[in-house]
Amino acid sequence: MKNKNFYVIENALLNLGKNKGRNFLQGVMIFAVITTTVIALSIHNTSVAIIGEYKTRFGSEVNIVPETLADNLPDITAEQALLYSQSEYLRDAQVDEVKIGSGAIKLVYYLKSPESLDAFRTEVQDKGLPAGYIVDIDKAGYDRMVMPMEGLKDISLTFLLIVLALGCAIMILLSIISVRERKYEIGVLRAMGMKKQKLAMGLWVEILIITSVCFILSLIAGGLLSQSISDALLAGLMNTATEPVDISVSPQTVLQIFGVAMLFASVAGIISVSKITKYEPIKILMERN
Amino acid sequence: MKCLELADVSYRYEGSTEYVLKNISAAFDSGKVYTVVGESGAGKSTLLSLISGLDVCKEGDVYYDGKNLRELDRDDYRAKCVGVIFQGYNLLINSTAVYNITLSMNISESEIMGRRAKKEAAFALLNKVGIDRETADRKILYLSGGEQQRVGIARALSHNPDVIIADEPTGNLDAETESEVLKILTRLAHEDGKCVIIVTHSENVTAIADEIIGIHAGNLIAGEKYRENSAFHGENGHERTKTIRENEQ
Repeated sequence: MKNKNFYVIENALLNLGKNKGRNFLQGVMIFAVITTTVIALSIHNTSVAIIGEYKTRFGSEVNIVPETLADNLPDITAEQALLYSQSEYLRDAQVDEVKIGSGAIKLVYYLKSPESLDAFRTEVQDKGLPAGYIVDIDKAGYDRMVMPMEGLKDISLTFLLIVLALGCAIMILLSIISVRERKYEIGVLRAMGMKKQKLAMGLWVEILIITSVCFILSLIAGGLLSQSISDALLAGLMNTATEPVDISVSPQTVLQIFGVAMLFASVAGIISVSKITKYEPIKILMERN
Repeated sequence: MKCLELADVSYRYEGSTEYVLKNISAAFDSGKVYTVVGESGAGKSTLLSLISGLDVCKEGDVYYDGKNLRELDRDDYRAKCVGVIFQGYNLLINSTAVYNITLSMNISESEIMGRRAKKEAAFALLNKVGIDRETADRKILYLSGGEQQRVGIARALSHNPDVIIADEPTGNLDAETESEVLKILTRLAHEDGKCVIIVTHSENVTAIADEIIGIHAGNLIAGEKYRENSAFHGENGHERTKTIRENEQ
């Protein structure tokens, strides 16, 4: 059974060499689509990772600060600060004191999880936190760091969706053109008795090989381009100078891009199958003759 | 031995109410050459496409070896039971002659195993129809009409079918090549026991037939009656047929 179908793959491989011009053009289009997908996905995934990291960092960093810088606020003693640090919600009993002006200080604790904020706040209040103090995360700092990354994430996601939609449209168009161009060949093979499913499998193998080659090339090209594109986008989004974000093509991104590449190949395969199913060899050959 | 049978076969194209073929009944035996003759548009090629399993008749049935084509897998039937030689050759033009043959062998799930053995068998088959190894290794694109026709014949024989169907097999050939092609087809019927059915306008081809099937406006006309039909042969048609017959004798 295996040997009986092997010729379909062999024929597909030979066809790749025979139709160099068309395959090259198809390859260029797929390469462009996958490369832009690599760039968009890399930026998107890195943004998501950084936002996640910031969320954890800022969400875990809980501050006890005076609500206003009023003089009549009771001080929090060192004993009290230490008492608050002895909580099951904190990573350790560490407490940092930061001066915030006019002699006031900010106490910084580190939560095990950002979700424990409310529970920690209640616990601290129960332990006698004087009125006029608030227990919260540094929202301003969080927003300052995260907003540009959110912007970058949104841009890359929009870009990714556009690329995917355009990519699918291009693949559909290319497949229709390719099958139409090869109508005669399809007619001949069908007239020789080749079954529709084998013919479709052959066309699918061809597009799969082209897509796989493009996938590898796109990973390299996309990996090289995504850093500079990300830097340019961030520069536009941030008003103040900030540390550059290190964009990398993670194994997760590679898998996602592979999935996208297979999606394109499958779209092409489905289009080919649907077109071939409609073709009758006698009509093709009669048209040609 | 009866190989193919048409039972009240009628055909009309999709969307048309007019029948191209009307109640055709005929039987074809192994070991004989049949020619199907008739004016252009009479329904000859349609008849071939029905016999070769490329199309299905609207009414009536086609039987191969006693089995109704409607019940057979038509892809398998085309791949294994019939060999079709097309008027326009219908070869894969970007492939070599030998590849066209080996591909046909693969599609028909030939019993010849292994790529090398298949290639050697293809070379032998091409050699049998007068194509040498060097020509066999050339792409179809670079072969002459006569060479392409021979490759078409070799492809039709590649899976050793019981029925060989040829649509105007000598239409594009010079007199010498035509004669060689006709010899091959006659040999296939008379020596190898194949059922050879040829659609033709050529009286040279008709001359080699064991039986002639005439089609006029979708109806079957008995062979000899057909020969007398001057409407098909033109004003001097009957005279030309007589000359061919006399020359043969």
